[in-house]
Amino acid sequence: MSSALAIESEVASLIVEALHLETRAEEIDPDAPLFGEGLGLDSIDALEIALAISRRYGFQLRSDDERNGQIFASLRNLAAHIEKHRQR
Amino acid sequence: MTDPLRRSLPLTSRPGNGILFRRNGESIAVGRFLADVAALAARLPPRTHALNLCADRYNALLAFAAALSRGQVVLLSSDRSERRLAEISAAYPDLALLVDAEIEAVRGEAPWEPPPGAIRVAPLAIPRPDGPNPRIPLDQVAVIGFTSGSTGRPAAHPKTWETLVAATVAAGERFGLQGGADIVATVPPQHMYGFETTIMLPLHVPTTSHAGPCFYPVEVAEALHAAPGPRVLVSTPLQLRALLGAGTAMPPIEAVISATAPLDPALAAAVEAGWNTRMLEIYGATEMGSIASRRTLEGDCWTLYRNVSLRQAKDMPDGTEALVEGMAAPVPLADAVELKEGSQFRLLGRRTDIVKLGGKRASLASLNRILLGIPGVEDGVFAVPEDLDRNPSARLAVFAVAPGLTAEAILAALRREIEPVFLPRVVTLVPALPRDAVGKLPRAALEGLRRQVAGLA
Repeated sequence: MSSALAIESEVASLIVEALHLETRAEEIDPDAPLFGEGLGLDSIDALEIALAISRRYGFQLRSDDERNGQIFASLRNLAAHIEKHRQR
Repeated sequence: MTDPLRRSLPLTSRPGNGILFRRNGESIAVGRFLADVAALAARLPPRTHALNLCADRYNALLAFAAALSRGQVVLLSSDRSERRLAEISAAYPDLALLVDAEIEAVRGEAPWEPPPGAIRVAPLAIPRPDGPNPRIPLDQVAVIGFTSGSTGRPAAHPKTWETLVAATVAAGERFGLQGGADIVATVPPQHMYGFETTIMLPLHVPTTSHAGPCFYPVEVAEALHAAPGPRVLVSTPLQLRALLGAGTAMPPIEAVISATAPLDPALAAAVEAGWNTRMLEIYGATEMGSIASRRTLEGDCWTLYRNVSLRQAKDMPDGTEALVEGMAAPVPLADAVELKEGSQFRLLGRRTDIVKLGGKRASLASLNRILLGIPGVEDGVFAVPEDLDRNPSARLAVFAVAPGLTAEAILAALRREIEPVFLPRVVTLVPALPRDAVGKLPRAALEGLRRQVAGLA
């Protein structure tokens, strides 16, 4: 498994755990939007995900991170953002 | 011309050098704000209503103040979905749409293109030191807030300028803010609670609001650190839990205020101990605004603001209604309450049809009606988790009897009709619902069904 795929599946598991989703991690389409139509998350979930990310990867999400909408646009984007900013 | 017999109050009662806002490291005084208001008001088209979608809190204040000074009614809704905008335009055809550049960067949402004709709100590029302080008639409808009505359509709740100012002054007294305070808020200015505490408060109480991103824990902490203080954090149980969970270092905070959902006393204790502060709660609703407060750890008694009284409702045996200064009609409360001596009361729990999530309320009956209206759904029910009042991230679930449909199809149909926060986290398809002899669904039976399904899966 390439490292991009590895982090994507790790982040998918993190989301499923943090939000207690019924979806299985491997069922999350890496290119589908996390909010609205795709996985159907909302801003309550954004906070939960931010908390889980700070615990696991040691950095904090911000609203003005190079366009927040982009980061949450898909699992792939979120995983790439984490890969770039992780402290551990 | 202003009718000399029509009673009025100025837009702001603060002196010209009072600091109203902090934004991008700048302190914005009242005089400069009034100049910004006059400039924007001159740009507004002649409309009866204005929809204030501004994401930046200072821009949201400017949009409100400018429209108010032009006699326009400001609609408080942050829902920019095409469906909601179409509904609002249909209900208020003579509408100005007020937006700002910050709106496009809202977290987690797709980039948004404002409809043609939208007015861009921004402060003057070159600030001016002073402007006129318009007088607003007391009986002018200043804002309309919205709640999800019993039919699923949002219901409108107008507030006059008199009601808003009386509530603002009462809140300032209650929280001891007359000596000045920096208010950092995680709630949007379009929510009635956020509107009262960060838009109205600085106009008539010497507080200073903060503009800028204030959603993720690190942003909240930075905003608080940047404020000279005394600092007050206005937030929600959900945000407070995230802030504590992130373990972010906080500067001294005078008081933390929470609203939109009951605060778990354990969370209140953690806030008081962790940040060495007082954890206060506001009780209110969009229909009537904030009406009471308490310090969570001091017990379950709420004390009414001085602009409000409560009385037994005439037509509802277990109902209570609020009489709010400036509002002609009494407002029924969504909760059952026990009236106490003086201006105190105890909450006995929500009346069972109402669920509250993410600061929004919905009627279970109307959610169930929407579910049953989906073609192919033969029977179905929204289930409320046991811990809804304690767990800020609790969500609804749906049990449905729908032989030809998938759970995803039901969810997709619901998504078209109801607000995202009320969407079920789990849709469970079952052969039949455990209805009793009179067709009711006892909570225990639903819980049993949920366990049974989970066990089979």
